[in-house]
Amino acid sequence: MKYMVNPRTGRNIQRGLLYTILVIVCFVFIFPFLWMIFSSLKLNKDVLALPIHFFPRVWNWKSYYNVFFKFPDFNFPRYILNSFIVTFFAVLLCLFFSATSGYGFAKYKFRGNNILFTIILSTIMISFSVIIVPLFILIRKLGMQNSYAGLIIPESLTAFGVFMMRQFFYSIPDDVIESARIDGANEYLIFSSISIPMAKTALLALLIFHAQWVWNLLIWPLIVISTPEMRTLPQGIALFKGGYNTPYPEQLAVSVIACLPLLILYMFLSKYFVQGITMTGLKG
Amino acid sequence: MRKASYSVTRIQRHGYVFILPTLIFFSVFLIYPIISAMKLSFFEWNLLGPKIFVGLKNYKKLIADTRVLNSYWRTLHFTVVSVIAINILAFTFAIMFSSTLITFKNIWQSFIFLPVILSMVAVGVVWEYMYQTTGLITIIGRKLFGVTIRWLTDTHVAPYAMIIVYVWKTTGYYMVIYIAGLLDIPQSLYEAARIDGAGFWGRLFYITIPSLVNTISLAVISCMIFTFGQFPIQYVITKGGPSRSTEILALLIFKQAFEFNKYGYGAVISVLFFLTLFFFAVIQLKIFKSSAR
Repeated sequence: MKYMVNPRTGRNIQRGLLYTILVIVCFVFIFPFLWMIFSSLKLNKDVLALPIHFFPRVWNWKSYYNVFFKFPDFNFPRYILNSFIVTFFAVLLCLFFSATSGYGFAKYKFRGNNILFTIILSTIMISFSVIIVPLFILIRKLGMQNSYAGLIIPESLTAFGVFMMRQFFYSIPDDVIESARIDGANEYLIFSSISIPMAKTALLALLIFHAQWVWNLLIWPLIVISTPEMRTLPQGIALFKGGYNTPYPEQLAVSVIACLPLLILYMFLSKYFVQGITMTGLKG
Repeated sequence: MRKASYSVTRIQRHGYVFILPTLIFFSVFLIYPIISAMKLSFFEWNLLGPKIFVGLKNYKKLIADTRVLNSYWRTLHFTVVSVIAINILAFTFAIMFSSTLITFKNIWQSFIFLPVILSMVAVGVVWEYMYQTTGLITIIGRKLFGVTIRWLTDTHVAPYAMIIVYVWKTTGYYMVIYIAGLLDIPQSLYEAARIDGAGFWGRLFYITIPSLVNTISLAVISCMIFTFGQFPIQYVITKGGPSRSTEILALLIFKQAFEFNKYGYGAVISVLFFLTLFFFAVIQLKIFKSSAR
């Protein structure tokens, strides 16, 4: 009897072990972000100075002011605005394409449905990096280089979204649509007033997926945009960092600011993110 | 009866209207560029001068170009190591979070998920500082293990420095996918196993992993496709250095086309790139279709 471990003690040991691992892992995952915030508040000479201090010795808030006003070649407000415009419209277009075609593929049995869907789905393997050269030539031919349209249109297309919405619309019963038809509603009214509201969760999940991608995309703006005032945020930061003599806290300050919009968006939408993955069966 | 089936077909045709915009835009901006890359790979062109047909010259150059070969292997290495690390970690975390011993799961999970929503460029900036000679990671390494690792200047280490950033950035995303997958496994399976006396490892290998085969293969393959086209970490931190040890394909294409103005050659590399992804994608499509029904 005396060498038997109390089951409750066993569970407590397990729990203790699990929490230890959990705390270490989570610490590793959030640490670089905290480091980024605190280093952005240090003095330039302290960022890489030894010995290392986690918190700033002198709290230097000036870098956050400087990045907006002190660098004539770095038009920060404009980059933020550009990124907002591009992300907003690219996500909107993406939702439009994904919802309409996902609905079309899921709810209508027309000739060629399967083959067309397979073609669209196969573009999932076209990584953006593969098509940058021909896509740039095309955009140039269409006169869309260095324009919002040239950024927005290519960034709004994702086979992943089409797949996701099609999976979702499969899961809603045909009866609902059928009964609306019997009531005399036309197809587009059914789509916009019945099907879309039902798809709210899936659409919000797609929204945050895609906003994350567009907001952070670097390679395409680097190629399409040629004048400073059209730069997006990631591009602006990358060039700011490569710039001559840019102070470290300022580089980190713009990085922190660039992360904020998505963090805020995620705070509001995180539950849709997980639900979206779960209910559209993206997990396979 | 006849009339009814006629009107049903008419209704079904509305499907074309729904898919038409997507079909047009995907064809013009995704499918046409791939075809035109293949065409362009037979030409020499700097965008301004005339397009000169050069036959297989670009391809011959490609095969003999050690820079491209180096880049190709670097990309494969980056992809394979990252994908394995990401999926093992993500799966382990998901299993950990399935334990009933942990409370406030959402908060813990959001810590691991946090890097996913951060900007890749921003993240590159801070990791570069941490990798510097007097940066945090180097100093911790020296204090703990007594060795000074030259993260960004040693050609053997720099690729792993990139992999670490990428794994840190991406693991949370795949963790969410695995968590969703785990939720789908019927609890009754576990209860039956418990009655049969199966322990943690028994349940893991005989129930959890077999039930998640689809999830795992889907996650691994889409992770491979994303990782293969990775660009910003290397662009921001190393620009491909030291000695091209982190010059992955996307970066090489970018340099060939947009810094050296060799569009035809950039296109050839893209074709090589595309064929590799095509291989991954054939496998992925099989999985998608078996799960989409």
